[in-house]
Amino acid sequence: MTTSANEFIDSEHKALYSKICNEEDKVTRELQAAMARHPLLDAKVRNITKVLPNLEVISQDAKQLSDMIGFASTLIENVSYKVRRLDVARSRVFECQQRVHDLLDLQLCCDGVKSSMNIGDFEKAAAHVHRYLSMDQRLLEKTADDVNQDSAAVNNSISLLQDAATKLRNILSDKFSEAVKNDDLASVERFFKLFPLLEMHDHGLDKYSDYLCTQIQTFSKTKIKTTLDNKNSDKRAGIIFADVITLLFEDIASTIEVQQPLVETYYGPGRILKLILKLQEECNKQIKVILNELWRTRQIEKYASMVRDKNRSTSTMKPPDPKDLDQLLAELTIIQSRYHLYLKFLKRKVAGERITEKEGEQNDLVAKLESKLQSSDLCRLMQELLNNYLLLEHFYMEESVRKAIQMDCVDQGSQTSSMLDDVFFIVKKCIRRASSTSNIDGVCVVINNACGVLETEMCSALMNTMKVGFPSGYLDLTQAYNVMMQGRLQTTDSEQSKAVFIAHLNNTDVGSEYINTLCTSLVSEVTCSTELERRKLESCLTGLSSVSAAMGASQELGLQQLRNTAIKPRVLSWLDSFSTLSHVLSEEEFSSYEANEPFIRGFIGNIDNFLSEFKGLLTGNNYETLVSILATEVNSLMEKVIMKTEFNRFGGLALDKEIRALVSYFSTATSWSVRDKLARLSQVGTVLNLEQVNEISDYWGSSPLPWRLTPVDIKKILKLRTDFSNDEINKVHF
Amino acid sequence: MDDYKFLFKVVLVGNAGVGKTCLVRRFTQGLFPPGQGATIGVDFMIKTVEIDNEKIKLQIWDTAGQERFRSITQSYYRSAHALILVYDISCQPTFDCLPDWLREIEEYASSKVLRVLVGNKIDRDDREIPTRVGEDFAQRHNMYYLETSAKESDNVEKLFNQIAAELMEQARCKELPRYDDGNLQNMNRRTTSVDVTCCGN
Repeated sequence: MTTSANEFIDSEHKALYSKICNEEDKVTRELQAAMARHPLLDAKVRNITKVLPNLEVISQDAKQLSDMIGFASTLIENVSYKVRRLDVARSRVFECQQRVHDLLDLQLCCDGVKSSMNIGDFEKAAAHVHRYLSMDQRLLEKTADDVNQDSAAVNNSISLLQDAATKLRNILSDKFSEAVKNDDLASVERFFKLFPLLEMHDHGLDKYSDYLCTQIQTFSKTKIKTTLDNKNSDKRAGIIFADVITLLFEDIASTIEVQQPLVETYYGPGRILKLILKLQEECNKQIKVILNELWRTRQIEKYASMVRDKNRSTSTMKPPDPKDLDQLLAELTIIQSRYHLYLKFLKRKVAGERITEKEGEQNDLVAKLESKLQSSDLCRLMQELLNNYLLLEHFYMEESVRKAIQMDCVDQGSQTSSMLDDVFFIVKKCIRRASSTSNIDGVCVVINNACGVLETEMCSALMNTMKVGFPSGYLDLTQAYNVMMQGRLQTTDSEQSKAVFIAHLNNTDVGSEYINTLCTSLVSEVTCSTELERRKLESCLTGLSSVSAAMGASQELGLQQLRNTAIKPRVLSWLDSFSTLSHVLSEEEFSSYEANEPFIRGFIGNIDNFLSEFKGLLTGNNYETLVSILATEVNSLMEKVIMKTEFNRFGGLALDKEIRALVSYFSTATSWSVRDKLARLSQVGTVLNLEQVNEISDYWGSSPLPWRLTPVDIKKILKLRTDFSNDEINKVHF
Repeated sequence: MDDYKFLFKVVLVGNAGVGKTCLVRRFTQGLFPPGQGATIGVDFMIKTVEIDNEKIKLQIWDTAGQERFRSITQSYYRSAHALILVYDISCQPTFDCLPDWLREIEEYASSKVLRVLVGNKIDRDDREIPTRVGEDFAQRHNMYYLETSAKESDNVEKLFNQIAAELMEQARCKELPRYDDGNLQNMNRRTTSVDVTCCGN
């Protein structure tokens, strides 16, 4: 027990002892370190003791400096106080001087006004009054009060100047009116420049605008008069109203152009709007006169109501000839385009004024102008005119297209008939004419109407031809072609309608192309000033794609008609000879069969004749589709004939060769491969050309082309071979 | 690339001041701009809505009501899939003009166009045309009927969404038999003026 206790104590002691030893070591190390720093500290203490007396000196110096700074500061405060006082005094002196100056000027102005007015030097008088008006009126009166002894004199001057100002105002107004009356431009401008000096900006602008308006009015009146007098003799008689309107707009524009610097110099920036709005009122009046005359002379109302009534049975009037409208439509579009240019000009004038720092104000001015313009007679009248233009343009397009379709003829050497080019010429002409108005809504309307006219007039005309179909009966296209070459005379109905059918089928093909071209050219031709306008245009152009679809439908129908009446019966008749030939051949018979080619030579010859007849008549696309349809028909009809025939080994071999010849003919006849269309027939040939039944297993699965024949088909075909037993055929597995 | 399955043209017509522009603004921008000036010519907006997880793009043509824009307005009837004829329930003359508008629609629009009659401004308390009268009129002329308020945003979304849903339904009915039909009929189908433009191109 004790030993273990001792051991325990021992171990405890040992731990404590080692801890103490560690600490002793640590303390010793620290002591040594402290001792090592001792000389260093000593040296530092010595240094400090040396510096100590210096510090006392520094402290004294600092105290002295602080005293000095305090002194200087109070001194400076005193000075600055005085300076402030001086400043106040100086500004008062300045003010005083100003007042004295004003008083002196007042006296001067007073005298000056009198003398200048006496000698009629209104510039000087106005300058004096302007000087007086630029003085602070309240201050002036106060000054008069302050200068007690002389207040009477000052007040006197003031009232005198007031009188002078009023008098001058009246005189100027009168003089201005007089100058206007005498049509004395120099004096008008002279007095116009003086108004702002007398703080009569609005009055001056009003008076001056009135003057300019009368100028415009006289100008416009003489123009209208001369126009009406020579309206029939002038070589531009057809668009004489557009010319007058152009002249009017140009006159107003040049007036604004000339007056803008004057107004801005003497009246300040932003004042031009008032002038423009005033001139606009006159413009409205004059435009109304001109348009009324236009309306009457050109009988727009009559034409418009004729057009509106044409669909109603009640109408008794004969609708106008579209040709008669041509010139009127041109005139109306010129008017619209001039109107747009004029509006653009006005906006630019107002927006382009020199106040760059006040952009908000600028926008306000433009907005004010726009709202005024929008509610103006000019705008309303132009919209009415546009409305009637669009109505007549629609009528023009519809009637012209109808006429072009009625007068349709097939020209010699042309794949398409005349209506195609004529109709697209008309449609393009109308859209271009509308786009010259620079009104995107107008362009969109004409595009919309064009879609309608193309669809309801042209596409339905083409569709009708396609529905009637390609005339059947005895077919000789060479004859039909010759008839076409000779023109329309001496033709039988059937030949004529064949030629028309082919031409109209080509119309559908070329027409789709034309629509695409029209679409792309319009996108680049029509200028849109905003994103919204572009989107409107693009949306309306998508309407043309439905016309394209309608064309495609007619084309499809036409080609089907060709299949039914031209291709199928012929192929069937060409195949007649096949069934009369035996395909159970001996070796000698095979050799002679191969040498004479009793069927395939004639068959390919027929096909070749048929295709070469159509090749020149059809457009590339239509021709290729025709070849493709022909190949498809040959493929299926020939298989049917084969299925009714018996073969032996040589017969099969002969057939396979025939089919190969056919396929290679088709491959050379077209630019693209029709091999695919004849794949099934080729496979029939391959099956019938087997030496033994079980060879089919080798072909099945290893053919480079996918099999178009089903196992059932193949077994049926194998049974056509008289030399194959049914048992063997039934045993074949796929 | 736009991602939508159907594209429909919707055209709004009706007398001046009945609130066509406000209906369109409310629907496309969620705004009710007071003191709206008269529309000049025709305005054009696009909004895509989603019905049964299908994106449908609506091209909305907002026409001017004033007589002097009639040539412009009329040219949009033909290609419209839906026509919204709007009148103001607090203004008898706008209701009285409806037969004139219908005559125009008969003359220019496709016979298959979806026609919707809308009585707008039901927020106003000076109503002159009772709902039943509007409904009767719509029924007699084989139109859908809805009363709206562009100001309070009442029934505006519903109006356009119902049109979109109805047009989509029509388009699908037409689309289905395509697979059974021959090539020819399929092509013919494309010629009808009121048809669907699928899978945005």
